[in-house]
Amino acid sequence: MKRVRERSIALCAVAMVALLLTGCPAKKKPSVGAEAEGMGQGGLGGGSLENFKKGMGPSEGGPLQDVHFDYDRYDLRQEDRSTLQANAQWLKDNPKAKVEIEGHCDDRGTVEYNLALGAKRAKAVKDYLVSLGTASDRLSTISYGEELPLCREDNEACWSRNRRAHSVVLQ
Amino acid sequence: MRRYSWIGLVASALVGMVGVGVALGQVTGRIVGPGATRLEIAVSPLADTGGGKEAGARFAEVVARNLSLSGYFRVLDSKAYIEGPTPADPSQINFANWSVLGAKAVIKGTATQSGNTLSVEARLFDVAQRSQVGGERYSGDADLLPQMGRRFADKVMEYLTGERGPFDSRIAFASRRGGRAKEILVMSVDGFDVSMVTNNRTINIAPSWSPDVATVLFTSFMDGNPSLYRADVTGRSLQRISSARGLNLGGRWSPDGRMIAISLERGGNSDIFLLDGEGHVLKQLTNGPEIDVSPTWSPDGRQIAFVSARTGSPQIYVMAADGSAPRRITSQGSYNTSPNWSPKGDLIAYVSRDQGFNVFTLSLKTNQVRQLTGGQGNNEDPSFSPDGRYVVFSSTRVGRPALFLADTAGEHQVQLTRSGGDDTSPSWSMRLP
Repeated sequence: MKRVRERSIALCAVAMVALLLTGCPAKKKPSVGAEAEGMGQGGLGGGSLENFKKGMGPSEGGPLQDVHFDYDRYDLRQEDRSTLQANAQWLKDNPKAKVEIEGHCDDRGTVEYNLALGAKRAKAVKDYLVSLGTASDRLSTISYGEELPLCREDNEACWSRNRRAHSVVLQ
Repeated sequence: MRRYSWIGLVASALVGMVGVGVALGQVTGRIVGPGATRLEIAVSPLADTGGGKEAGARFAEVVARNLSLSGYFRVLDSKAYIEGPTPADPSQINFANWSVLGAKAVIKGTATQSGNTLSVEARLFDVAQRSQVGGERYSGDADLLPQMGRRFADKVMEYLTGERGPFDSRIAFASRRGGRAKEILVMSVDGFDVSMVTNNRTINIAPSWSPDVATVLFTSFMDGNPSLYRADVTGRSLQRISSARGLNLGGRWSPDGRMIAISLERGGNSDIFLLDGEGHVLKQLTNGPEIDVSPTWSPDGRQIAFVSARTGSPQIYVMAADGSAPRRITSQGSYNTSPNWSPKGDLIAYVSRDQGFNVFTLSLKTNQVRQLTGGQGNNEDPSFSPDGRYVVFSSTRVGRPALFLADTAGEHQVQLTRSGGDDTSPSWSMRLP
């Protein structure tokens, strides 16, 4: 748990620096995208919905790494398996931590289908962590579909950022 | 935001009408459907027969808006009208003046308002025949004026096409017009009456109507878990119906109002279930390892269309309402979603991905596929009008998503909302009772 707290404090510091920096050129208007979604906030213990309610962007960062998906797919990419192995190791090192895995989609396609797809993505991550030895009762899942995107631009760079499974440490 | 109050609307056809068939034959001969040749029509402000001046003008405005939306009419600019709001007596109407303007038909009538009680009488005239086609009388609470106008517009469509129009109905939809949150709103098709069903500042999605048009089903993250709720159009009576852990998604009432088809997530996978009105599971209808979502009932309640990714990509399927005999009905494309079954039973509207996302219909009798939108942004979430002649859908053709209406030929397309606030997921109700 110590590591979690340290990481949180570090992120807080970074966020404050960012605020100071953006605060300096006082006349400069934030871009519409940034205004609409806020900056991504992570590692502070809140999931994306909690962040949303506080007027912040979706949960980002934190001690556990995100994994990303191809369009309309929920199978894990090879490179993401090593990411999840590191996440599984963190869970082993922090045996009291419980984690909620969020499934997210890009905004192309249907709201309902994307919610179901996000659930599949979160479940794929959970299943892999369980296969690596994490107790399944430490892992919950939730899908936000295309509802809480990190960015809103219509290009592949943004879409691929939004097709993610994000893990939030709950305590 | 305006509150609906539908109590006490009384409508009666005027007695002693001139035979409708005579004039109709003349009119319908030119019209094949919305978007084809439009009938030039003038909608005169109603004559004030006591305290009804404002109401008479407003009534004409509502009727004109709805007739324009229908695609069957070209409403002539009221500034050009020569004749003022005189009584709707054929002997007093100067048909030559209307003919000069190019009007083939004219609507005239009277309005009386005393306190909050409004009486409206409206009549449709055939200009060439110099005769009355039909008329209606409405009385009730003055707040009901827009609904009276919509009812009359629907009636005018019936005189013209033989089938009542669909505009005395409501559209529920999701919108971010209040800010970042996605709330459920309800509006009349003409956009004159809007009310908020939710105001919980979270994420509310996938609204759909009860068959009696009294309540809306929707999925909300208001309590964290995406659960199914029911609320009336004011949002004052709110009831959580299904809150199984995970997705309780896209609930739709059966046409008889006794069951809800819904997609529930179990173990990360979504399947179609039937619930009773209290949210208890009656039956699981699909049971596969891949996504099954977005059920939509056939109008006779015997079949359910839905989206399944069982072959690796989302496609539309139809099954019996007990879950038996599923068959795939979409054969082209690798992404077909959002089915909506026409209340007429003959068509299923859906969304297909090619370059972007577009609205299509599939005929269940002929398997004919018709593309309603193309080359103009992404077009999603079609929902049929209660008469099956139109679909409402969301489109990004003018920027952020807004609601549009199209006829089932795709020829007549009109923008319904201009909020700039991401209006999506429309659900068109049945006609108001």
